[in-house]
Amino acid sequence: MSARVKGPLLAVWLGVVLLLLYLPILSVILASMANTRYMRFPHRVWTLDAYREAIGAYDTVQLHITSLKIAAIVVVLATGIGIAGALAFARYDWRGRSVYRNLVLLPIFFPQPVLGLALLLSFTAAGLVPTWQTAAFAHLVWIAPIVTLVISIRLYGYDVAQEEAAYDLGASRLQVFREITLPALMPGIISGALFGFLLSWSNLPLSVFTTGADTTLPEWLFSRTATNYSPLVPAVAVIATTSSAIIVLLVVALSQATRRLGRSRV
Amino acid sequence: MGRGIAGYLAMLPIAVLLAIGFVTPIGIVAVYSFMPPRTFELTGEPTLANYAAAFTDGYWRPLMWSAIGASVTTIICLVLAWPTAKALERAGPRWSLAAAILIALPIFISESVRLFGTSLFMMPGGGILAGSLRAMFDISIGSILNTRLAALLGLIYIHFPFVLFPLILGLSLVPKDQVEAAHDLGASPFQVFRNVELPLAAPGAAIGALLCFVLSLGANSEAAILGGQAVTVATHAIEQRFNYAQDWPLGAALTMLIILITALVILPVMRRLDFGRLIGK
Repeated sequence: MSARVKGPLLAVWLGVVLLLLYLPILSVILASMANTRYMRFPHRVWTLDAYREAIGAYDTVQLHITSLKIAAIVVVLATGIGIAGALAFARYDWRGRSVYRNLVLLPIFFPQPVLGLALLLSFTAAGLVPTWQTAAFAHLVWIAPIVTLVISIRLYGYDVAQEEAAYDLGASRLQVFREITLPALMPGIISGALFGFLLSWSNLPLSVFTTGADTTLPEWLFSRTATNYSPLVPAVAVIATTSSAIIVLLVVALSQATRRLGRSRV
Repeated sequence: MGRGIAGYLAMLPIAVLLAIGFVTPIGIVAVYSFMPPRTFELTGEPTLANYAAAFTDGYWRPLMWSAIGASVTTIICLVLAWPTAKALERAGPRWSLAAAILIALPIFISESVRLFGTSLFMMPGGGILAGSLRAMFDISIGSILNTRLAALLGLIYIHFPFVLFPLILGLSLVPKDQVEAAHDLGASPFQVFRNVELPLAAPGAAIGALLCFVLSLGANSEAAILGGQAVTVATHAIEQRFNYAQDWPLGAALTMLIILITALVILPVMRRLDFGRLIGK
């Protein structure tokens, strides 16, 4: 096949892939605009009633709060642990680093439902009643290594000479970390934190086994798709996804604004 | 103070976290798997009865379905990801970035939302696809919802990006001049693929395939949302042992078998790969 035929063919292929990836998401949006209990597409009446109902419902607010509490704890802890973990991964030379590099990534390559089940069994064996807090711990076990990896990727492009210059000029360890290392790592830290937030917010397989009586948004959606369907379910799905997108956009805008501010100050 | 100590200190928080949250739970599951059936203590007389039951009582069936599903998903994802990665490479830097971001975004939308959308799309009668076809062309179609095929499509849909992005990373390691040199020396496109691109992109493809296999092996929501009652996957069988049957040791033995399959697949590949090289240095 000549390159001239191949180019457009690949572009069409890319279009098909994107279409297929977004069809389910489009389907959720379309399904949310009905007012019938059962799905009968195309809807006779197109309405946003389900959104009105969802926004007013106590359940929706409660689900968002539970998911948000878990994600907030996970982001704070995973970012702290991830910064240190990434320095050990990519910045410092130490014996055992190559072993560490492989071991720390193992949880990423581990089936999440299996990890969730193993944690549930351990919590129960230890006499802990699963709640949203145990779920936050479960998320952390899986997400901290991912945040570590994301920050490490940034660290590879990091110039150590700057740090050494600062030491030569008489800066203390803490000063070097605060004034040189941390600002240089900031973009990696912010992407790591955003990854952590989104992965916790959208997580189903760990939450299903570790939240106990509490319910996160993905869990609620999962249980309501099988039983008790109404247009409220897709509407909540759209609201939950939109609110995570808004949070991410806010963080990105905020971090860019502070960076601009920092630059203009210098 | 040497740099060595800084390294040890920096790895300490995550090492403690993983010791408590990853190694210990697996250890507890391992001990439970040797406890007498239907007991809840960790101090019983060790026995292999649960592993025997796992094979004789038909529990190998869900394990087999999960293993087959994961293998087929991995192969199909690799086949679909290769032309997609090539298309992104060809599209020029700006378009390729835009398309890559569009492909990556759904990863951050909950699995339950995306699978729910897939089931809405596939639903018979009033589903998005069936309803649109009937309204627009007056065509009635059946539905594959609640079949093994639907569960498989769900697995492919969810795990495709996990194969694609490592593969893109791998392909970016293939030096362009080597490909051109092979073309100039008269190699056919297939020969270039087989002898130049494939071996050089192999580390990326291996990581993608590995992620895809392991994640699909443990997946259960695809089968639950799209497969209906058509198939029982491994994690679902384990969950039933833990929750409804209250047989923790048997559930633990089945968990250990999945972990064993995962380890057998991962460890040899992990040992050969150099993550540092793949992510930029």
